[in-house]
Amino acid sequence: MSVAPIPITGMGCICAAGRNLSDSMEALLRGERHPAPPVRFASDHPVPHPVFEAVDFEEPPDLLRTSAFALHAAREAVADAGLDRKILGSLRVGVCVGTTVGAVISEETFCRGYLAGGVPDMAPIHRILRSNPADVIARAFDLSGPRQTVVTACSSGTDAVGIAGSWIRAGLCDAAIAGGADELGRITYNGFISLMITDDSPCKPFDKHRKGLNLGEGAAMLVLASERVLRRRGTRARSFLLGYGSAGDAYHLTAPRPDGAGLRSAISEALATSGVSSASVAFVNAHGTGTPDNDRVESRVLHDMLPGIPFLSTKGYTGHTLGAAGAIEAVFTAACLEMGKIPANAGFETPDPEIGINPVMEATTVSGTVALSESLAFGGNNSVVALGKA
Amino acid sequence: MSGTERIVIEGIGVVGGFGCGISDLSRALNGSVAPPGTLNVSTGSGPIEIPAFRADTSPLKEFVPARTLRRIDHFSRLALLGGNLALADAGLAETEHHRLGVIIASGYGASGATYAFLRSFINDGDICASPTYFANSVHNSAAAHISIQLGSMGPNLTVTHFHLSVPSALATARLWLAEERVQRVLFGAVDELSDLIGYIRYRTRDAAPDAPMTPLRTEMETSIPAEGAAFLLLTRESAARGGYCALDASTTGSLPISGHPIPEPGLLVLGADGCRESGRRYAAVAQNSRIACYTPLYGSMPAGPAFDVAAGALILKGGRVFPSPGDAFRDFPATVPVGGEPVGTDRISCLTLAGDGAYGLTTLGNFPGTTGECAKEERIAAGVSRMDPE
Repeated sequence: MSVAPIPITGMGCICAAGRNLSDSMEALLRGERHPAPPVRFASDHPVPHPVFEAVDFEEPPDLLRTSAFALHAAREAVADAGLDRKILGSLRVGVCVGTTVGAVISEETFCRGYLAGGVPDMAPIHRILRSNPADVIARAFDLSGPRQTVVTACSSGTDAVGIAGSWIRAGLCDAAIAGGADELGRITYNGFISLMITDDSPCKPFDKHRKGLNLGEGAAMLVLASERVLRRRGTRARSFLLGYGSAGDAYHLTAPRPDGAGLRSAISEALATSGVSSASVAFVNAHGTGTPDNDRVESRVLHDMLPGIPFLSTKGYTGHTLGAAGAIEAVFTAACLEMGKIPANAGFETPDPEIGINPVMEATTVSGTVALSESLAFGGNNSVVALGKA
Repeated sequence: MSGTERIVIEGIGVVGGFGCGISDLSRALNGSVAPPGTLNVSTGSGPIEIPAFRADTSPLKEFVPARTLRRIDHFSRLALLGGNLALADAGLAETEHHRLGVIIASGYGASGATYAFLRSFINDGDICASPTYFANSVHNSAAAHISIQLGSMGPNLTVTHFHLSVPSALATARLWLAEERVQRVLFGAVDELSDLIGYIRYRTRDAAPDAPMTPLRTEMETSIPAEGAAFLLLTRESAARGGYCALDASTTGSLPISGHPIPEPGLLVLGADGCRESGRRYAAVAQNSRIACYTPLYGSMPAGPAFDVAAGALILKGGRVFPSPGDAFRDFPATVPVGGEPVGTDRISCLTLAGDGAYGLTTLGNFPGTTGECAKEERIAAGVSRMDPE
């Protein structure tokens, strides 16, 4: 069942931790995090819930912020891969992007105007219709390959990376830009607060006193390429996408299945497609949102399937970036494998006896060549990618 | 494509303005065309009625208990009905639902629930944001409801890529089967006509005349907005128990500067849906081809290409072409088969054109044991050999 590894030749990232991957990794390893009440939008909630707004960047006014994030990360990844327009034009390059906000026909100002019986300005709707993230990237780089925008909630970024790997293995394209992007806004802010799964203090993944997640925003993109392309260009992989697995819970719209059956299947499939055993996993970048339910289920599965293997959540540095999370965490995972080091699980102080296992509490050296990155989504989808050191 | 087996359409489930199920769709395709209903749209100058193809989900009570449906919105009801019809059409036993993969394609997602969620906090303040509407507004809510109702714990994916959603998501469905991730994929396309989508259409498109759609008339808008769901149960040929035809390819990309991706020979089913600007693009691509177009039967919606695929599958199954309704092709330089004419080919391609030169193409092929005797005899008479799958 194992599949051919797919070379990763470039990576890019923007989030609250940094404007690019290198800055973000340095911030993570320094243990820096800056959750704060939202600045970009107002809310009349009596208690402000902290969020992780991304660092400032050049934002084209004609695009959704989500797609601007996607494009920013894609430019970094493409440059990191040493690609230019001429090379991209000689290849069939696909784009697969996960998002939750970037494909939704909803905009508050427009809806307020409509609801008030007025004639609202259509500019926000036109902006949405020309901002599908995969299309934005394909247009910006003049790419001719397959395109897909995945909206499987919080596993979208992980799914997009896994699907792009399949495209290359199947010969549907020579290379692909794959990842995830999402912006913060009042819709998601109010939505998650309404579900009572946000923390009104900085999030504490896997901690006994965890109360919920903090939202974040940003994007990450990976350039995947076939071995044939690497040989032709005489370049080397930065790391590898070894395998991918996903499975549904068939349980609830917004809560994970208590026995973690879907996540177990996804991990098993990711390991099987990678052709590696659980014992060879160096570390796990867990979904670790900081909600009581997610962390309970996820840690139970890690305890059973990957005992003794170091794990952490990086959401304490970025917040939960929803459709971008899987991609941001995949590039962090690959970068950690390169460096042989993982950051501390920010926010964790008090072990939870119900969980029984603890994430890493300080920046830790890791050895080994394989790591997993996990995503659990609303709707019950669970997705896992296995990444390998070059 | 890594697998060598062909992918077969085992079951079809459809609901739309024409009715419910393949018998109603077949009746419409054979010329018994239902007129569109209406959609009430609130405008700045008062409410108006516009022609629209609306879908009735009341038959869903045959599959899902009424009590369960109370908290399920119209968008997910459309999907549940389409999905259950496809499974019933294929005769798939409940015991086989467990490892179904589920893939949903939608142009606009659950726009009704999204607007209702916005309304909840616009009207009553952020603190009153509705958790129920928020949960149902998440783009993968329909896929989640399907997996929960069916108990399907296979992989679960939702794609929202506006008009390319269907061919893009079908490509992934084929990959899942070729990679043997699952034995079967329940693929569905769904779009709803919410207040918000109706208003956006009212503002962005010229009013269509009170007449059937004429998709290739480039000088005027004739699109009629629509909603509906079209589902396909897909499996590998080795597992297929009859069915309609093979799904031999589905791809998305950018049209090359010269030429187009349409395979020859074959019948080309156009996704032209009466929108003036896309009519021009279809006309440019389809000149001098052998073409058909059935969108006047189900209307204009991003999920429309899945209905084109369903129509193509019924043509291959029956061996005869359905008449293209109305005077869709008046004065158009192409070969348009009349109703009842032998299909005369082993291959039907369904073409979708989006903005910025992007296209989607889904190719269906005759498959032994699934297609009509009529088709087989005609192929022999015409000396046409079976074309190789992708």
